[in-house]
Amino acid sequence: MSIITHVLATTLGVKALGLHGRDAWLAYAFGVGVDIDHLVKAPFYLRKVGWRDRRGYYWRSSLQEPVALSWIIPLCLLLGTAVPAVFFVIHLAMDYSVRFEKMPWYPYSTHVTRGWLIGMRDATKEITLLAVLICSNIWLLWTRL
Amino acid sequence: MFKHLAALDSVVDRGLRPVVRLLHLRLGLSPNAVSWAAFGASIAAAVVIAAGHDRAGLGLVALGQMLDYFDGGIARQFGLASVEGARLDTLLDRASEAVIFLGFAFAGLASLKLVLLTLTAVLLGSAIYERSGLDPGFKRVVLYLGLWFPYSVLFTVIFAANLSGYVIGLLLIDLQFQHRMDALEGDFDTVASRAARLEAAERQAVQAPRSA
Repeated sequence: MSIITHVLATTLGVKALGLHGRDAWLAYAFGVGVDIDHLVKAPFYLRKVGWRDRRGYYWRSSLQEPVALSWIIPLCLLLGTAVPAVFFVIHLAMDYSVRFEKMPWYPYSTHVTRGWLIGMRDATKEITLLAVLICSNIWLLWTRL
Repeated sequence: MFKHLAALDSVVDRGLRPVVRLLHLRLGLSPNAVSWAAFGASIAAAVVIAAGHDRAGLGLVALGQMLDYFDGGIARQFGLASVEGARLDTLLDRASEAVIFLGFAFAGLASLKLVLLTLTAVLLGSAIYERSGLDPGFKRVVLYLGLWFPYSVLFTVIFAANLSGYVIGLLLIDLQFQHRMDALEGDFDTVASRAARLEAAERQAVQAPRSA
């Protein structure tokens, strides 16, 4: 999913749950910030694919795969909040609804999946979700004014 | 820390050669025997710490760590290094940390929850160390700062260092996989599954002789 969709989903979650301060920061870090691994992988992407849009090319990392829960859950337990895990799972659910190849348990397993809802076109899912998130954010903002 | 710090090890090895010779040639101790002795010292340390004598316990922790260094020294100097020996050493190191950390929890110097989370972070890093080559090294050694800082702070530091090391280690392994993918030609949309199949086949090839 695009960064804008992740930002909108996280913003909706933060507003709906009434998160502030540290919890809001954690929500954005784990709902959006985990995408930072694309920066690490960007040199690889550019070398192999160039400036073309080839979303199918695997340039994710364990930072945004379910295996990351192996360190996010201990972190949640230490911090005494479920916010990182909740927003990370939302991020995962969105990414796994798009048809790219994903390696959920790497390096512990080489299993590859394309996620769920793979029968539907990615563009249809993304545009629908984007529209729903924009409307929900506006509605929430309107009701809280 | 990183595997390439082995050069530093060889300098220290030379300095400690007389002790290593004493342990192996005079006392007839094998590297594995010294590893077990180090673990024994760690158990003693844990008992002493649990009894409320943290300073005396830290002395025993230091003894255990010294012995832990000598097992590797003997193995290297006398050509006794083996994969099994290295595995036993790692296993006993983690077991030593477990008993020592639990000793602090038992004494009430740190909460059981924090101690268990710290152990989890250490074990996660160890689980991928062979492939990542990254070990932050912040484990028992940090506890000596307990003479000046609260143990709860020190356990949090050990937790943070080891969990960060684990996350970075995962990323390093990912980058190795990325190189494997980039070496493949053909359809971009299936590059991950094709590279994964290659890696799985290589893993099976490595494991087959072991299980035979």
